Amino acid sequence: MEMLGLYPVWFEPTLGSGWIIGIIATIHVLFSHTSVGAALVFSYLAVVAYRKNRPELLDYIRRYGLFLLVFSYVLGSITGPGIWFSTTVGSPRGISALIHSFVWKWATEWVFFVIEVIGVYMIVYLVNKVDQKTHLRISIIFGLASYTTMLIIIGILSFMLMPGNENWYTEGGYLNGFYGANTFAQLAMRTAFMFTMTAVVGGIVASSIKDIDFRKEMVRRLAILGLVATAAGLGLFKWYLSTIPATAELVMENRLPEYFTPALISVMGGIMAYFAATLAAPKLLKPAIAGVMTVVILVFGLWPEEVARESIRKPYVAGGYVYSNQVIGRDVPGLGIHSEIPTIEEHGFTNALIFLPEELRTVTDSNKEAVGQALALNTCSNCHSLTDTGIRPLANYFGDDSSESDIAAYLRAALSSGTTLYMPQIPLQQDEAVALASFIRQLKDQSIAVAADQGNPITVSQSH
Amino acid sequence: MNVDSLYALRDVAGVPSHPILFLVLGVVTFALHMFAVHVMLGGAALTIRGALSQDSYWRQLANAMLSTAKIAVSVAVVIGVAPLLFVQVIYDPFWYTSNVLSAWWVIGFIIILSVAYLLIYLFYFKNEDLTQNKTKCPGSMILSLALFIVVGLIMHTLTNQMLSPDQWMEWYAPQGQIDASGTQLHSINWARFIFMIALAAPVTGAWLYGYRHYISVRPGSDSGYLEFVHNLARKLLAQGSVVSILIGAIWMVSLPENQIEFLTNPMLYITALALIALAMVPTLFGSKINNGYNAYWLVAVAFVVIALVAVDREIIRWVALVVESGYNPMDYPINMDWYSTILFFATFAVVGGMACTYLITVAWQAGQTEGTYTPSVAISRLGNWTIYIILIWIVHYFAVGFWVWAQ
Repeated sequence: MEMLGLYPVWFEPTLGSGWIIGIIATIHVLFSHTSVGAALVFSYLAVVAYRKNRPELLDYIRRYGLFLLVFSYVLGSITGPGIWFSTTVGSPRGISALIHSFVWKWATEWVFFVIEVIGVYMIVYLVNKVDQKTHLRISIIFGLASYTTMLIIIGILSFMLMPGNENWYTEGGYLNGFYGANTFAQLAMRTAFMFTMTAVVGGIVASSIKDIDFRKEMVRRLAILGLVATAAGLGLFKWYLSTIPATAELVMENRLPEYFTPALISVMGGIMAYFAATLAAPKLLKPAIAGVMTVVILVFGLWPEEVARESIRKPYVAGGYVYSNQVIGRDVPGLGIHSEIPTIEEHGFTNALIFLPEELRTVTDSNKEAVGQALALNTCSNCHSLTDTGIRPLANYFGDDSSESDIAAYLRAALSSGTTLYMPQIPLQQDEAVALASFIRQLKDQSIAVAADQGNPITVSQSH
Repeated sequence: MNVDSLYALRDVAGVPSHPILFLVLGVVTFALHMFAVHVMLGGAALTIRGALSQDSYWRQLANAMLSTAKIAVSVAVVIGVAPLLFVQVIYDPFWYTSNVLSAWWVIGFIIILSVAYLLIYLFYFKNEDLTQNKTKCPGSMILSLALFIVVGLIMHTLTNQMLSPDQWMEWYAPQGQIDASGTQLHSINWARFIFMIALAAPVTGAWLYGYRHYISVRPGSDSGYLEFVHNLARKLLAQGSVVSILIGAIWMVSLPENQIEFLTNPMLYITALALIALAMVPTLFGSKINNGYNAYWLVAVAFVVIALVAVDREIIRWVALVVESGYNPMDYPINMDWYSTILFFATFAVVGGMACTYLITVAWQAGQTEGTYTPSVAISRLGNWTIYIILIWIVHYFAVGFWVWAQ
């Protein structure tokens, strides 16, 4: 019998593996975008310093570079592979799909990453130890190599949402998967916003410059950069939205919270106001204020963006063929990939799963909750927490009064047929549906009991 | 775990080139990564030893080794990305399962490594010149080194757990009860782990010979300090190699059943001979190592020894997974993608080769120059061509991209 190649499951009860991946990814985006933007700004400043003989700009590069060494290159270089690590344990087949299609692209990015890391040390530690022209060359190499890492990763990020070209499904090929309208729209948008982040983080260093005139000049330069980049980013965001698939648009309209759009506009408005204020009154900027603004961008800008990016991919997690619950959800003839849905329909999860104890392969009255838990771990827990906390708690999606048979009926209807837009098709056998329903009912009862103990009625979201 | 299940876990997309390429690149980049790790561990240990000493030579060495360790961590992290990438390509069923089974430790790896890395910088910012000032906050450096060893242990465990597919179900569902918490480290081979760490001693010994030669050409170098470094390098190289051989022997006699066939492999004995040869270098060559470029050749030889260990590690994996478990990564289905394959090797050889040659040459020569260093015309031309070649790469990226988009 054909086995279903699902890995063991990691279940984190408090936050959920999805949020842990999200937290690491969000932090990495801040570090990596800032470092790429700063690398290009350094190249520009090095050119100005060289042409206009302004050594103080080199000193700023050295100071900001040293700050970035810790801020971006220590933490950024760890959180980068950290995303691999966290997705490896949270979504192994999702990251595997990306790795197996884009291993050479990642390896190519690695070459530029090596150049970038050597470069950052050299532009920091060789200021005044090599002649200015050599330092300029190093700065340009560093800036270009740094931006190239972004060029490469963007195609992979786009592929996570969908292959660049629909032909990828029938023909395969790295180029079809990597390049598309979304790749370029996302590249342009991220390029703009990376300068926004560079301008905010650069303010931490610029506001601590001792020479008042130079400090004002640098704060103003950064403010102008930030204003232009944020305004451009907003325009490019609209372009980006025009390139996402229709299903993603529907998910955005229906699944993102109502406050998402006004919150996004408020954050962007706040950032523009911040840059306008620092442009008008540069001496008011202090490192602590720039530091707080950095955290604001992280929490109110990047986190919602990453959550939205994760949501609009649903029900897939990579390439429009790997479901978020790790099952291969469609054929990709170009790579000889077959959907696993027919196997599940024929044999059921309990027969086809590799990592399932033998005593749980047959559903009985005595083990049905244990089987249900195993099924919930495999089919639900990537997106739904099995506790009251964390990402989209599963129990919240069922009413207090839903009976085990009601739940089983739902599972066998909308979910098994795959007619819910943002949900994977989960073709449970009748006994599996009963087992999962039994577990969900148990979760529901526990949730109600906990809420009663705390004296708080729990919020029930009848989303389905 | 039967072999059909292992094959079922394999990624359905296949691989874009022959698997042998990923295997070779994995071994080579792992060797480079481990070499940087060993320099970092040795550098950090010598920094602590020197920072806690009153002796001026020790403090001078601590100053230099702090910079070495700081940069070596960066190099180890950035190079470590490559073997991490390649192991996922051909050993995905084993790597992903092992990681998920110890998931919290995998997340812990990221956090602990970040803290360890930051602590090195904390110590550096507190002690920018150990030769002039008293040591501040030595605990940060000690804790940093301890945490680096912990992340090494986590990585060792993940690698070791890969090799025991027969035990995976017992680890995931002991007595039939699924434990999806990922809180356990299931399989540590202490002898293997300590051997990998112990190799830091001979590698650092060789590195110190190289360091000694590098600073000896600077004008006004202190002969007393050079002698001090030479003696320390000699001890670390000779004694460190002997200790490594002994621990390696313990590892070999305690090999698990499914790896024991490695004892019949000639590579084991070649590696042992190489380590013995490394231990005898100071006795055989004495101060001749300091002549000409001998010290740098010694660093290269130390790297070769680490590369042999990396090959041994791969053979052990092959024995456990291919010979004992029946899973052959070489029969991975290939969906050949010539463009991305050629692009990587061209980028690696041309862009990487030119950029690294230029940057390292400038850094090397600047470090040996008093005052401002101005490279020769030829080196500057290499720098200019590095810029052009990266620009050409970027232009090619957009040209190909727009062409594909327009299809």
